[in-house]
Formats: sequence, structure tokens, C-alpha cells
Amino acid sequence: MNINLTRVYAAMAGLILASVPMSAHHSFAAEYDRGKTVTLTGSVTKLEWINPHARIHIDVKDESGNVGNWEIELGSPAGLLRLGWTRNSVKIGEMVVVNGYLAKDGSNLANSTSVTVNGRKLFSGSSSENNDANASQTGTVNP
Amino acid sequence: MHRRLKAAAGSIGIIVATTALLSAQWPQYPAGPPVPATGPTPRTADGKPDLSGVWRNVRNPVAPARGAAPAPPLVSLDQVPEATFGNVGSGFKDGLPLQPWAAELVKKRMADNSKDNPDANCLPMGFMQFHDHPQLRKIIQTPKVVVIMYEANYGLRQIFTDGRPLPKDPDPWWYGYSVGRWEGDTLVVQTTGFADDTIWLDVRGDPLTSAAKVTERFRRPNYGSLEIEVTVDDTKAYTRPWTVLVKQRPVETELNEFICEEKDASHYVGVKK
Repeated sequence: MNINLTRVYAAMAGLILASVPMSAHHSFAAEYDRGKTVTLTGSVTKLEWINPHARIHIDVKDESGNVGNWEIELGSPAGLLRLGWTRNSVKIGEMVVVNGYLAKDGSNLANSTSVTVNGRKLFSGSSSENNDANASQTGTVNP
Repeated sequence: MHRRLKAAAGSIGIIVATTALLSAQWPQYPAGPPVPATGPTPRTADGKPDLSGVWRNVRNPVAPARGAAPAPPLVSLDQVPEATFGNVGSGFKDGLPLQPWAAELVKKRMADNSKDNPDANCLPMGFMQFHDHPQLRKIIQTPKVVVIMYEANYGLRQIFTDGRPLPKDPDPWWYGYSVGRWEGDTLVVQTTGFADDTIWLDVRGDPLTSAAKVTERFRRPNYGSLEIEVTVDDTKAYTRPWTVLVKQRPVETELNEFICEEKDASHYVGVKK
């Protein structure tokens, strides 16, 4: 069996790096409500491949058939690339399912933990599992 | 070939990642064979430990994620716990020794959800958040200057190792002024000249003032370990000096470009005035 060791090492490295939270969020709580999870299904209208957060915009149809445009915040491209994304991972017009947290200001904005496109789930670098973001709201403040 | 693959899989914990992780970004450029993390410290031509490389953090979170190892016990201010990005003093059982005004400031910043964190506004996050940041940094060591490039917010530090003294009355800078000298195998870095009301030491907002003298001790005891002991001596903000530890591991990859375009701030929600 011919095994390309380079690819094996790269895959191992990918696992190692993917286990480190890529988007320790500098002010997650200022923008999003960790207690308000949301799942949105919609078609992609725009992709912004920028820092500090890449963003996709999706048209979401509600129960009455009304369409609203939502802005979905992802991690940084630097981090997303290490989670298996490329800037071509989602295309305009494609249907995606977004899991995430709602914005506090009531706007059509959510921070995404994962995006499922073409049956493939991509983690998008939200700090939901990141203890450092949690730790910023803990600890003794003395005196 | 099977035996080599088994050996490789078995040593996933200690073999440093090699080659082509981001082959989509740059043409694949062959690196050397993987070096076990416990291998010898690389050295420069003048015999000093070589800190050069791309480094990622290895941290013990205060609040463990599901399935993670338990957090280490909290310690006194005379000991050296690991720092965390969200709360640099989270390893101290009584927290940081904040002056009263600084303690009030941290409470306010936490109530405001850290919306004024410079990092959240595409401004320099400062040396401590850079040390603790989960994104990578690249150290380039030359005989006269050590440069640290941070992927996060495209940060850049210079540590002059050419024997120059710290400046006497410098213009206050976000990064301050850093000089370093080798004491045996430890690079001892001193930084002064910080500007007031600029950097935060962590996401929750522990402050640093222009009175601060920061000492960092960089050690690379083996190939796979970078240990940075950071002592903050800032009598304006803290009642006594305190020291925390940052631990990093090398990775064989390159930094991505990260130019911060501030779009978040319009949605920030803080304490209503």
C-alpha cells in the first residue's frame, strides 16, 4: 500500500490545529447572546472574506413565506482555512444551514458555530466552546 | 511502509506537524523531516537557543471544556500560574492584586462586555493578549533584534538585542520599547514606555499604565517547547508585581494575512448609560 506520508502528517496537523479554538472572541458577549441559539436555513446572497470575521449573508424564508436577509458572522479567514474552509466553500445561491447565536441588538445577525453546505458541516470558529471567552467574564476582581 | 505509518500515528502527540498544511495558500515547499518535540534545542551560530519559528499556544483553561483535563489548582501571587486570554490572572486564587481604581475599571469593562477592548476595535491588543492569543505568531531571531510577527491583527514587536539601553524619556507607545539580553539560555526582555489607556492585558480588561515595567523570560528547553514567563511590575495599577507563564509549541506552517476591518462595533451592546 502506497501511503503519502506528507498527507498523513498534514492531516494530523490539521487535527492538532483544529482542536485549538481559532476565534477566541475579543468581545463575544458585547454582540451575541450565548443563551439564544438559532438554526437558520437560507440561500447565500453575499460572502465577505475579511478579518476579523468572515461573513455570509443569507436569505431566510419564514413560516409565512416572507424572506429576510441575515448576516452570519464566522471566524477569521486565517482560522477558517485551518478548519477546512476556502473562500469558495459557499457559493452565491447555495442553500446552507447555519447554527449559531443571536445578536443582542435584535438585528438579523447571528454568530455561527457551524455551516452545513452540500451535506458537509464546517465549523466556523465561534468561541462557543472557548473557555477563554468564558473566562473573561469570571474571576475575582479585587479589592 | 506499514511500520513507518504505525510509528507516525503512535507519535502524533510528540511529532511536530510538517509540510503542506496550507498547500492551497503557498506552493508546497518541502520542509525537513519531522523532529520529535523532545529533541535538542536548536541553536544559532553564536551558540544561543534559537527561538525562531511559528508558535501556537498550549493553555490550560480555567473552566475546562467538556472532556478536557481538569484545571490546575489556583496558586498564590508568589507563584507562576499559566495565563489565559480571557483573564490573565485566572490562575491566582485571589485574582490579580489590583489597585482600587483598577478593580473598578475591570468591573466596568466586564459589565460592558469588553466592547472597548482594543482588539474588538481593530486596534493593537498589546503584548499580553498577543502572547495568549490562539492565533499563531512567528519569531525571527537575528543577533541584533528579535522580531515577533503576530497573525492576529498583524501585530509586530521588535526586541533589540544589540546591547542598547532602554530609552530614558520615550514617547509613549502601544507596544512600548523592548530590549533583550541573554542570561545563559534565557532571553530576558525588559519593556517600558507604555502609553496610558491603550492596551488591555486580557479580554476582561485588566489594565496597564505608563508606570509599567514588564520583564519577559523566553526559554526553549527543547525543540518543541517555548516558555515565556511574564512579570508585570506596574505600581499604578497593581499593588505588587505578579508573574504568569505562557507555553507554546512549534508548528510547520505560515501565518495568514490578517488585516482587521472593523465591522463589529456597530452591533456592540454594553451597559446602558
